[in-house]
Order: sequence, then structure tokens, then C-alpha cells
Amino acid sequence: MSAPRALRAFAARVLYFARTALRGLRASPLTSLVAVVTITVTLILAGAFALVVKNMQGLLERIGEDVTVTAYLDEGLADQDRAALAARVRTVEGVQEVVSVSKDEARQRFERAGQGRADLLQALGENPLPASLEISLAPDRRNAEGVRVVMESLRGLPGITELANAQDWVQGYAGALSLLRAVGFGLGIMLALATLLIVSNTIRLAVYARRDEIEILTLVGASRTFVAIPFLLEGALQGAVGGALAVAGLGGLYRLALPSFGSALTLVFGDSPPSFFSASQMIALIAAGALLGVVSSAASLAGGLRQ
Amino acid sequence: MRTGSRDAEASGGRDAALVRLYHVSKSYLAGTWALHDLTLEIGKGEFVFLTGPSGAGKTSLLRLIFAAERPSDGQILILGRNVGRARESSIPPLRRRIGVVFQDFKLLPRRTVEENVRLALEVVGTPTREARARTFAILKQVGLQHRRHHHPLSLSGGEQQRVAIARALVNEPELLLADEPTGNLDPDMALEILDLISGAAARGTTVLVATHDQTILRRYRRRTLRLEAGRLVEDTPAPGSGT
Repeated sequence: MSAPRALRAFAARVLYFARTALRGLRASPLTSLVAVVTITVTLILAGAFALVVKNMQGLLERIGEDVTVTAYLDEGLADQDRAALAARVRTVEGVQEVVSVSKDEARQRFERAGQGRADLLQALGENPLPASLEISLAPDRRNAEGVRVVMESLRGLPGITELANAQDWVQGYAGALSLLRAVGFGLGIMLALATLLIVSNTIRLAVYARRDEIEILTLVGASRTFVAIPFLLEGALQGAVGGALAVAGLGGLYRLALPSFGSALTLVFGDSPPSFFSASQMIALIAAGALLGVVSSAASLAGGLRQ
Repeated sequence: MRTGSRDAEASGGRDAALVRLYHVSKSYLAGTWALHDLTLEIGKGEFVFLTGPSGAGKTSLLRLIFAAERPSDGQILILGRNVGRARESSIPPLRRRIGVVFQDFKLLPRRTVEENVRLALEVVGTPTREARARTFAILKQVGLQHRRHHHPLSLSGGEQQRVAIARALVNEPELLLADEPTGNLDPDMALEILDLISGAAARGTTVLVATHDQTILRRYRRRTLRLEAGRLVEDTPAPGSGT
């Protein structure tokens, strides 16, 4: 077969598959509608959960950026030595940034944070707060193990009297993140399986309605793949439409719901406002719909196409 | 040109068999035989009738030949391939070399005459323009080019069978199987259909027609295989064939 002929043959097949898939959608509009609606509802549920996870994860990551190790310094350490120590600590692996806090700065902070309890320090006379280094960690070290390793490296450095951190909180943070992801993953799998079951049974009706066509195709020498591709395309189209509708539905719900829950969301997410899916995430949701449609079609065809 | 080469091959007669059955049996229910111990050969370019009463096993034999069923026992070689042992993936390529015509036409009612015929070409990936030209040519051959945009249900029984024959022949098959192709037609229409099938045989296609219509058997006088209760009871050669 010459190359142009092979190309024309390929184009003819693509044209046939597309035409047959569209004809199939037109031939069974109710079945198509049920499949699209099922996929839309599933993706709205899964997408809503993903949106919550995405925003909570964003919040947790922002809080994670504040994970620091505080090194309290010797009372007698001169400003010059403190600066030198800070420079040394910056070279420790896993350290991203070091902020040097003098005794005076520590007092000022306490007073600002204390809001009216500054008299406590005045009562003591001398400033009891030590100078310190606030050490923030590189993003890949913002976990319990990362904190432990960095603290191990800092321990024993001359001028440091004590090391403090929020290791327990870090562990809690990592645990919450893992739990959220696991729940999201489990929920996604369950929803996908339920949808697969419903949509594949719906598509099975369409396959049954077209059993004469399938029989004739196999009689004239169509392979299983040739018979299956239009059904898979139909599934992909239905899924993609379901995905697009889910994105539109979630977008609508997001815009409608956001003003009503504004104050509650501020409690959960703090000052940073919640965000909707990015363009690539919306495309991913549509692609997930298409994939769900294809897998459902494949499941409905499995064992149903015999030569 | 494929047809030309097949004409040359056809002149070789029965020595190059397209269909070979060795002690073939088919059972759907334990203890009962739809076909029992059949041994026969059909050579390239032959036109053979398969006859016998209803339930004799004609359709079962045709289904074994186009690999819709596997034999319970024995060997079947079709176009050089042992279909009893063939992998499922090798069945479609084999079927593309076989045209099949049924009593009930098996046309898709929602597709036009042209689309029904073109289906056989689309399956093998024939480029669109070539597929259109070949579909038009075969429809002209069966006298239905003016009906190509009609749907099958708006055609008469004879016309529907002509569409089915056009679909079976459009791919220039090496073997044409017809299962009671005139069973639903009046006598004049039946002869018209047999003329079309006979024309395909004259152009080099090997033809096996299952029929119990004695008028057709008397008129065409070809090699005739007679089945009774699943057994081959008679193999009458065509008059003057010398076999």
C-alpha cells in the first residue's frame, strides 16, 4: 500500500468512527442523556470535594511555610557574634532563611503581642527575653523528619543554648494533609466505581439496541476493535460533555455559595480567600469525565463483542 | 487487477480447493449431531448448491465455513486457514475474503442503500472516494444505482436482496456464501437474484448457495451437495464437468 493510500485509508477510518459515534449519540438520545447527567453529578460531587481539599491544602501549605525552628542564644553573645552565628546557620542543609532577633526586638514583639500586658515585663525590671535566631526551613524539610534533621545539625553550635520547634504541630499538619488526601482519593474511587456501574449499564442498553449493526459489522469482517471504537468515542464524548457541565455547575455553585458563606470561610481559610480551579485543573476535570466515559463504554462492551 | 488474476486461478478448477472439510461434526446438544462426519472439498471458481430439507444442517455448515461457529470435531480449511484452530483475531481478516448473503438480508434499516453497501469497504479501510466509486459501480451492476439514497425498508424484498448481494460482492470476495437467498422472494425475483450470484461465479468467485428450491436446482444444474440429518448423502457433479 502506497503512503498516500495508507493515509487516505486512515482518514477514511477516522471519518467512519466519528460519523458512527455521532450517529450512535443521535440514535439513543435518552441513553446519552442519562450517561451525561450521571457523569456530571459524579464530577460535581468529586469536584466539590476536590475544591475543598485544594483550598484546605493551600491553607495548610501556607501555614507550613511558617514552620520554623527557634534557636535561643547565650545571654552574653555580642551582636557581631550573633550575626556570624546566623550566617553559619544559613549554611546548614535544609535551612531556607534565618532571621536574627535581638533581646530588644524580642521585648518589643512581646509587648505588641501582649496587648496591655507589657507591665509584666516592666515588673521584672531587666529584660528576661533571650536573643534568638528564627530559622525557616526549605519546603522539602517542612515535615517532622526535616525538622528533626535540621535540629540535629544545629545542636551543639556554640552560642545556641536551646532549640525549640513546633514538631508536634508539624506532625499534626502532615497527618491532616495525608488524611485529607486519603479521604479524597477513597471518595473519588467510590464515586468513580458507582458511576462506572451506572454508566456502563446505561451504555449496555445502547449496545443492545445496536446488536444488529454489530452482528452485520462482524459478518463483513470488522474486528472487535473496529466495532468498539465508535462506542468508546461515544463514551468519551458523553464524559467530556459531563465534565464540562460539571465545571460549569461547580463554577456557578462557587459564585452563588461564596457570598453566603463568606464569614464561615474566613474562619476556615483565614485571610486568604478560597480559589476556584485553575484552567489546567478544569481541563483535567473534563478529561477525567472523558476517561470515565471511555472506561464505562469499555466495561459495557467487555465480553459483549464476539466474532 | 485482482479480478483478472482470480479468473486465471478459476481456470485451474477444483485442484486448488478453497473449502476443505475432513470428518467435520457439529453438535449443539450432547448426543445430537447438527452435522456428522462431513468430508468435502470445493475448488476455486466452483459454483456449488447445498440442498436438503429444513434442519438438514445447511445453515450450520455455512456458519462453520464463515467461522461463526467452531466444529465439534474434524478439520475445516477455508482459504488455506484452519478455522477450527484459528485465533479469534484471525477471523475478521478471513471474513473480509468471504461474502455472505442471508435469507433475511441483514441490512441496517437506518442507513441508506449506499451506506449499507459501503460498510464492507469501510471495515477494510478503503479510502472514501474509492469506496464511493466502488459502491456506485456494484450498485449499478445489481441495477440499484438509482435507489442508492433510499433506505432498505422502502425497497421491495428483491431489491433488498440485491443490496445484500452488492454488499457481499463489493469487496471482491474469493468465496461467496448464500443461505437461502431466494427464500423470501417470488419465483421471478428468485431467478433474478440467482442470475446475479451466477454472474459473480462467472467472474471467478467461488460460490456456495444453500437452497431447497428445486426450480433453481433444475434451472442452474451445478454441482449439488445434499445433506440429510447432518450427513452428506449425495455429491452430484455439474453435468459435463467430468468429475
